[in-house]
This record gives sequence, structure tokens and C-alpha cells, in this order.
Amino acid sequence: MRIIVHKDKCQGHARCWALAPDVFKLDDEGYILPGDVEVAERDELLASRGARSCPERALEIDCTADALLARLLFNQACGGFK
Amino acid sequence: MALKPVPDHVPPEMVRDFSLFTSPGMQRMPNGDPHAAVARVHGGPPIFYSPDNTRDSRGTWVITRAKDQRRVLQDSESFSSHRSIFASALGENWPMIPLELDPPAHGVFRSLLNPLFSPKRVMALEPAIRQRAMALIDRICASRTSCDVMSDFAFPFAVNIFLRFLGLSDERLDTYVGWGKDLLHGDSVKRTAAALAIVAFIDELAAMRRKEPTDDVMTFVVETEVDGRRLTDEEVRGIGVLVFVAGLDTVATAIGFDLAHLARNPNDQALLRGEPDRIVPAVEELLRAYSTVQIIRVARKNIDFEGAPIRKGDYISCATMIANRDPAEFECPNTIDLAREDNRHTAFAYGPHRCLGSHLARREIVIGLEEWLSRIPDFRIKEGTAPITFGGHVFGIENLILDWS
Ligand code: HEM
Ligand code: SF4
Repeated sequence: MRIIVHKDKCQGHARCWALAPDVFKLDDEGYILPGDVEVAERDELLASRGARSCPERALEIDCTADALLARLLFNQACGGFK
Repeated sequence: MALKPVPDHVPPEMVRDFSLFTSPGMQRMPNGDPHAAVARVHGGPPIFYSPDNTRDSRGTWVITRAKDQRRVLQDSESFSSHRSIFASALGENWPMIPLELDPPAHGVFRSLLNPLFSPKRVMALEPAIRQRAMALIDRICASRTSCDVMSDFAFPFAVNIFLRFLGLSDERLDTYVGWGKDLLHGDSVKRTAAALAIVAFIDELAAMRRKEPTDDVMTFVVETEVDGRRLTDEEVRGIGVLVFVAGLDTVATAIGFDLAHLARNPNDQALLRGEPDRIVPAVEELLRAYSTVQIIRVARKNIDFEGAPIRKGDYISCATMIANRDPAEFECPNTIDLAREDNRHTAFAYGPHRCLGSHLARREIVIGLEEWLSRIPDFRIKEGTAPITFGGHVFGIENLILDWS
């Protein structure tokens, strides 16, 4: 699974990091590092929870790759980004 | 209730008899539930005009939907946060920084301060926070089976940590808390007196740290640079005053509302006691359901927003306690579900002004609840007592007498 990071939207809530510290890395100010995140399979659940808890909608779960997984897990189209 | 006069550009049909200060349920009252009272606006229109909705009885537009609030809070070109709330109480005009600066100036100061309040900085404070919580609670349960959570635990805990964070001793803790209370909840005479006392205190502190630097936040502020220059006296004051005021009673209030909820809901209490891992997400849900802050912006230009003819200078209220009970955003918003997922609440705001102290506040609340639940057996609201709650610009809870005899 891949998570697309919209760095310009990040306001440093650090919710993503709180839920999945191994997946989402923050800079010294507490904002997400730029660049999309490749997520290993074992981290997928936590990573998508982290993405979906971002109040700024800065983290987009890449639906093209794993649309089926997202639908199965959360019973909704790609929930991370509205 | 007679409505106050409204400006001519506001269509009469958009005026509602609603106020965070004067509506039913907002007054100081025993066993009140101001959050439930305010959630009723979701039965009405998404935006309306309230003729009396600030501390100084000004009218505001009220944005009820989370989605629309996000648009306002993201659009600082149209909606400014510069209101001189604090300085205007003194007849002056300097901004609290970064709260009352708009981007791009906001970002310069925000980047400066972010590292001091980052999640990593807060992690380093964890042992001190926990130790303080343990010491206070141990002292309470050594001799008693009942206490007032607000004065015996929440305030001495949160304010002590906060002062330590700023590099201040807590000898004058009660004085500081008194200033905070007068400023947020006092009449205009008390507010002005408290504002003057805080400004004098911050100015004096800045002068002391200039003379004798230590390694605290205020020393950082007087020594740091923006654009290759030191900060001006006004900037130092704007930062000092804001940080001091923002952190004084917000965390204690959150702990109060949270423990009141757990006292009244034994199932939730048992759940968290049995599975402490659930406290972290539960705190997010409690922050959502018991949000305390009204955010206000000022229109920088005329703009038609969801059918409302907003004119330059109008105030716009984005109350977090309203957005966080929006049924379009949260399933069954008035049900408190400690295991709620996808909880994108905005108790700490949204957009560039996201609460700078949010990481510290979250850790304090979580640690406070963890230590309370692990040391105090089944607790309930003491018979014959009632917590007093109130609405307003910042919602609050005055007392919370718990009993575990
Ligand atoms: C549960 C506790 C707290 C809550 C609910 C809370 C809530 C908020 C909210 C809603 C805002 C946005 C205000 C606006 O945009 O008009 C804010 C901003 C701010 N808060 Fe907090 N806060 C809390 C604790 C703290 C603490 C402990 C500190 C300091 C240590 C703090 C420092 C600040 C600062 C400096 C800002 C301005 C940020 C900016 O404008 O960029 N807050 N807070
Ligand atoms: S949760 Fe969103 S806003 Fe917060 S740090 Fe992560 S990406 Fe940024």
C-alpha cells in the first residue's frame, strides 16, 4: 500500500505518527516529512488508521493500488482523503 | 429574550436566538451539559447570525458544519485571526503571537516555536509529568476517599507541568490560576486587571531572562532571531502572553470534563480501568465530545458564504464544540464511543493555527487519566454534590467532587 503525502496541507497534528510511528516520520517541528510513504503489508492497518485520523486530510491512501483492500477493510471507497 | 440589534446587511431570517453565552444551558449551573445544549444547533441551518456571541456581546456569524468551518479556517485571505483580543481589553493594539498573525507572518513565528512544542520535546517531559500526577494522587488517596478533582488534582497537575515547561516555579500557582480565571470568565473590571497583571509579569520575566538567560522558553524567545534580527519587545510580549494564557486552564478543564464523564458512566470507567491501552483513543473521543474552545475569525473582505452575505469586519464563529458534534462528520455525534475510529475532531483547531500546545496537552490528559484510574478505585460523583459547568468562549467545569468510599 502507498500513502500519498500532501505536505502542503500538513499542520503538524501528529495524529498519523501517534497511531503509526513506524510508518509516518515527522521533522523537528513535528510536521510530516515530504514524499509518499510505501507501507509494508504488516503495517497496513495501522497506516490506514493513521491516514484516516489526519484532521487536515493531508494523507491520501493510494486507491489505485489497493482499492479492494481498502473497501474490504473499511467498507468504504478510499476513506483517507475527503 | 429580546434580541440585540443586528447590522443592516444581515437578512432578518438568518438571525437566530442563539448564543454560547446566554442560550439555555450556557449559564453556570449544577449538573449542566453545555455540550449537549450546543449540539442542538445541528437541527437548524448550517450558518446563521447570532446577535450576542462574544465576551463583549458582539454579534457573530455561526458556522455549524465541520466542513464549512474547515473552509473558513483554511482561508486566511478572507478570514483573519487578528482581533487584538487581549490588547483591546487594555485599549492597546498588539497581536498575540502566533494566534493573531495571519500567514505568511504567522508561519515565520510558528516555525520558530514549533520545535519547542514538538511531539519529541513532549516525550522527553513524560517522566516528570507522570511523577507529578502520581505524587498528587498518592497524597489524595493516603488520607481521603473523596476530593474535589479540580482544585486537588486537575489544576495543581496541569498548571505545574505547564509552568515547569515555561521554566517558572509554581510558588505563585494560585495567583496565575486566578489571573486565568478572571481573564476568561470574569467581568470587564476583573478582565482588565488580570490582563494588566499578566502583561506586567511577562514583561518583567522577559527583562529577567535578558539579563540572566537560563534554558527555558522565555530565554529562547528573547534570544532567538527572525529575518536576522532579535524580536521586538512587543513580539516577545505577544508570544509570552499568548503561551501563558493558552495553557493555564485548558488542560485542567479537559481533565475535569473527562473524569466527570467517567464518574457518570461506570461502564466506560471499567473499560478504561481494565484495558488502559484504550485510554489514548478514548482521550481523543473525550476531546471531541467535550471540546472547549470557540474559534473566531474576522472577515477581511465582503464574501458570500453558503448564502450568508458576510461583510468586511464581521465576526465568524467556528466553535469546536459545534463542529465536533456535526452528524455529517461523526456518526451518532452525541453518543460518546470511547473506541470511535476515524476521529478527525478539531478540538485543537484546524489549519495553520492548530494548537501549538496540543502535543503537551494530549500527553498530560492521557497521563492524568492513566494515573488516576490506576490509583483510585471505582469513583462516582459524591452524593449531594453537583459539578458546576458553564458555556462561553471557553467552556468550563468549576468543581468535581468524586467519592470512592
Ligand atoms: C486541552 C487543552 C487545549 C485545547 C482544547 C486547546 C485548543 C486550542 C485551539 C482551538 C486553538 C486555535 C485557536 C484559534 O485558531 O483561534 C489553540 C491555539 C493555540 N494553543 Fe491551545 N489548546 C489547549 C492547550 C494548550 C496548551 C497547554 C498550550 C501551551 C503550552 C497551548 C498553546 C496554544 C497556542 C500558542 C495557540 C496558537 C497557535 C497559533 O496561532 O498558531 N494550548 N489551542
Ligand atoms: S496527521 Fe496530518 S496534519 Fe498531522 S502530522 Fe500527520 S499528516 Fe500532518
